[in-house]
Amino acid sequence: MSGTSLRPMAGSVAVLVALATLPWWAGDQYQIHLAALIAAWWILVAGLNLVVGFGGQLSIGHVGLLAIGAYAFAILAGRHDWSPWIALAASGGLGGVCGLLLGLPSLRLPGFYFAMATMAFALIVAELVLALGDLTGGGVGLSVPGFPEPFESPAGHYLLMLGIATIITWCAWNVARFPWGRALVAIRDNPVAAESVGVPVFRMKLAVFVASGVTAGLAGALFASLQSYITPDTFVFELGLFFFVCIIIGGRGSIAGPLAGTAILTALPELVAPLAKLGTLFYGLLLLAVVLLVPEGIGRLFQVILERLRPRETASPVLEPDAARLAAAIRRQERP
Amino acid sequence: MTALVADGVTKRFGGLTALAAVSLDVQPGEVHGLIGPNGSGKTTLLNMLCGYYPVDEGAVRIGEEDLSRASVQRRAAVGIARTFQKPRLLPTQTVLENAMLGGWRDTRTGFLAAALSMPRVRAEQRELRDRAQAVLEGLGLGYALKRRAQLLDHAESRFLEIGRALVLRPRFVLLDEPAGGLTGAEIERLGIVIRTLRDCGIGVLLVEHHTEFVFGICDRVTTLNLGRMIRHGTPHEVRHDPEVIRVYLGS
Repeated sequence: MSGTSLRPMAGSVAVLVALATLPWWAGDQYQIHLAALIAAWWILVAGLNLVVGFGGQLSIGHVGLLAIGAYAFAILAGRHDWSPWIALAASGGLGGVCGLLLGLPSLRLPGFYFAMATMAFALIVAELVLALGDLTGGGVGLSVPGFPEPFESPAGHYLLMLGIATIITWCAWNVARFPWGRALVAIRDNPVAAESVGVPVFRMKLAVFVASGVTAGLAGALFASLQSYITPDTFVFELGLFFFVCIIIGGRGSIAGPLAGTAILTALPELVAPLAKLGTLFYGLLLLAVVLLVPEGIGRLFQVILERLRPRETASPVLEPDAARLAAAIRRQERP
Repeated sequence: MTALVADGVTKRFGGLTALAAVSLDVQPGEVHGLIGPNGSGKTTLLNMLCGYYPVDEGAVRIGEEDLSRASVQRRAAVGIARTFQKPRLLPTQTVLENAMLGGWRDTRTGFLAAALSMPRVRAEQRELRDRAQAVLEGLGLGYALKRRAQLLDHAESRFLEIGRALVLRPRFVLLDEPAGGLTGAEIERLGIVIRTLRDCGIGVLLVEHHTEFVFGICDRVTTLNLGRMIRHGTPHEVRHDPEVIRVYLGS
């Protein structure tokens, strides 16, 4: 492994160690709860980021998938006494199935109409939760069980969510760095070029959308058990916009950016009391500032700083093709 | 030898006939020029060979395989690669990553295998990177591998697009005005690249306005005017055809 990839790796490990030991150095229970909340949102955003940040498909309705995961978990683990682990897996699976059912008709729509379809989906889910009172408890809501020992305590629950969030982050990072990530960026930036090299545009959009449904379902289940009680008011439409804004502020085509965006947007209003009073206005102002000042997001800002620190390329830029080498390169990749 | 063939293809846009029963074949290891005035249907024909436009009449084939109804992706899979009049690159990705995109169809791994970073995925990635790097170095872009595509100048963008097409392991490469916007020296280097493709047995279709370049490099030339083929032959024959001179070359 080269030195350039070692440093970010060491950084990630350091951050992970710091996060894993949080219960032992956190000031109070509330900070642990906040960290668990960030983990829940990030599990959803990590999947959504592949759809929005990499694939360029503007979904604003993932709160609907989150609600489905949360209610599935509450009903299966709470009312039907399923093992929380099986209920968690079922919530993720159901999120994926709903993602498939939503994505199949809507992912062929051009950007704006696709966003509208996802919004409509979120609104329909919200209405259904109210209408199906026998199943969901209607406006009264449902109590949600926690996970068995050793994940019962707030610290244990947090560590569980941190573990799942870490795995999801690793998976998202893998998707991003392998050919899949490049093909998704191609679908976002230049679908015509993507087609010309054989990228199956619709199939890929659908695959990542289903994956984002799975992570939204998992996030919903973990979030619900963290809250221990859910009502329809928990899953307001603004929450779907919040996830979207985390990605835009973090920056498209990056993993670290949206992760930072999720953490900042979740924690800031909670930690800085005056900001909490501003409520949604704070998100609005922050979004405005980012879009106007760093339209590529804070993730890109980090990259620009890193690029500045790196030495300039000194090689002389003369475009001089070498026929012999080119022929060798072409012949080498010929199929037998 | 299997050729890429357009067999009497017709394309209508509403009431306008953009192409009327045009036939053309590109043999492996030949450079075939396609010239004609603006609006004569050159790019339309190229788009039909690649599958962006369905054919209204006629057929597109490679050898015996009928591709008339095949998708753009399917045609990429059987080895038809192309470049665009205005280079279509991924601006935020590096030069190497842009070229690697060309090898997409060799990616055999699914979403889950990629997400779990299976050894097979990593091996594929390595192999693809080496292959793309070798092609870029052959094209003379070795110094810019890690540069973002948005920082390239025009000639570099054009060469990178050719590189992406080559990483696809094409049997045929369709170039849409590759000399557009290049300086004289750059066009000479483009000529080196195109001749190399030919020598490697790749069939090249060259849509181009720069007629000196076309006549200098092509084995055969087809001339279109108003959607019809008016002359087809060696550069010498086409260049001295009175009809071609009248509608396109001028005297």
